[in-house]
Amino acid sequence: MISLEGVTYSYMPGINALDHIDLNIGAGELVAIVGENGAGKTTLVKHINGLLKPSEGRVTVCGLDSKAVTVASLARKVGLVFQNPDHQLFAETIEKELSFALVNFGLPPDEIKRRTEWAISEFELSQYAGRSPFMLSGGERKRLALASVLCYGPEVLILDEPTTGQDNRQKVRMASLLHKLNQQGKTVLVVTHDMEFVSDYIPRVVVMSHGRVIADGQSGDVLVRRDILERASLVPPQLAEISWELGLDPPSIRLDDVVARLAKLIGGAKA
Amino acid sequence: MKVFKGFEYRRGTTPIHALDPRAKLVYLMLFMALAILYSNPLVLIMIFASSLPMVAIARVFSKWAISIRGSFIFVAFIFLFNLLALYFWGGNTLEVAVLSSLSMAIRFISLISIFSTFFLTTSPEDMTQSMVQMKIPYDYALTFNMAMRFVPTLSKEAQYIMDAQKSRGLEMEKGNLVARVKNYIPVLIPLIISSFRRAELVADAMESRAFGASKKRTSIYVLRFGGKDALFVSIALASFFALLSLRLLLSVP
Ligand SMILES: Nc1ncnc2c1ncn2[C@@H]1O[C@H](COP(=O)(O)OP(=O)(O)OP(=O)(O)O)[C@@H](O)[C@H]1O
Ligand SMILES: [Mg+2]
Repeated sequence: MISLEGVTYSYMPGINALDHIDLNIGAGELVAIVGENGAGKTTLVKHINGLLKPSEGRVTVCGLDSKAVTVASLARKVGLVFQNPDHQLFAETIEKELSFALVNFGLPPDEIKRRTEWAISEFELSQYAGRSPFMLSGGERKRLALASVLCYGPEVLILDEPTTGQDNRQKVRMASLLHKLNQQGKTVLVVTHDMEFVSDYIPRVVVMSHGRVIADGQSGDVLVRRDILERASLVPPQLAEISWELGLDPPSIRLDDVVARLAKLIGGAKA
Repeated sequence: MKVFKGFEYRRGTTPIHALDPRAKLVYLMLFMALAILYSNPLVLIMIFASSLPMVAIARVFSKWAISIRGSFIFVAFIFLFNLLALYFWGGNTLEVAVLSSLSMAIRFISLISIFSTFFLTTSPEDMTQSMVQMKIPYDYALTFNMAMRFVPTLSKEAQYIMDAQKSRGLEMEKGNLVARVKNYIPVLIPLIISSFRRAELVADAMESRAFGASKKRTSIYVLRFGGKDALFVSIALASFFALLSLRLLLSVP
């Protein structure tokens, strides 16, 4: 689905923001990309929808070489939602905002209407219908930005820091939305610093540091590795820390797992 | 939006960088006046040329070239628009229309060049300080300084916004001239709105740190108008009068 082979990119000569990245993501996967500030996460995802083209190496998405196609044709397949919704909202009304991409991609009017209505109800925005996007709260603007990309139905969805500034209810909603999309067969990538979010909801994690991929695997395996987390300035998930403190082997990031083994430990101590 | 880079100050050690901002301001004002006064394309080209030695001495050619290149689309627009207006609606002959649109375009490029040279070599802080020393109220000087300060922020933000809209299928280079201008709407609106948001934020941050609490401000560092500045102003004045004499003695339009 998405494949990067030896991808290198530099904004300024001499400094590689991406340094020989190899990465494969299959159709229907749900993957988190984590790493320190400036690790190259945003740079990486911009390669996947063609905003940036590799200086070296190759990016292939849905069988298309990113160098051979325009951003618009790749964007049709890869929806990228940026961190700051204020960088994209511009229309007079929520409906116009939602239909912007649909019009750009040349969908027929009745289809545009159908999808706009779907997005409004799916994202619980109907109470704001007909109003300006700028009247919404920060969290709502973020939801609208996401909706405006989702409504054109890209096969791959990439979210850059979707949980910053969201309350817990919204995080849980976000997680269930991601799972729902994933079940519909969409490939979903989430760039985030929120390790609890990753450990609770996302099965695969790619850790980046200084433009390289330093770990890639099941969240349960990667997020308990102290060396990796330290190199990428990541806060360990609380359950991983508890596992370390208790000397659980192997450490775990699943609550039920940790609780069960803790119960055993206590039981063992009593006996 | 890269065009902003052509106006962004970068520290430098050349004699042009070291000039007092007031000296450069004199040059800026004099030649701006000339550019507005004259409509003869040759004189306008000379005004344009006046900034070239400064660009060379200050070694800012590549940055300056960005602003010149970046303004081409506007220049083309100005030229076409004037041509159409003068020829079709103004009822002028084609020759008059072409000539006067041409001078309009060169005038614009000259102004860009003069301003670009000025801003590329003058630090916003020195600029503010010189305004204060010229008895301009501090509030206005500061407003100017902040406007300058946020130009790079704005240009970065414009890039983010373009990325976001391109990701939603916006093709900036698509369509005829009118469509292309319209393509900028999804970029300009978020840019303007976020500028307002930021202005509000900065104002709140400044007031919460007691901006304006003391009426009398003093400066650590005072600008001095020296011999080099006097020399520069003399050259600027001499070329100004030389160019002005073309009008006074030879009645060049
Ligand atoms: N437009 C740009 N021009 C020059 N350098 C850039 C630009 N954008 C990013 N960089 C540099 O590239 C490197 C990677 O940046 P990137 O934005 O991909 O990091 P990130 O992992 O997304 O970080 P964050 O967690 O802070 O969002 C950084 O060193 C950054 O300074
Ligand atoms: Mg980032």
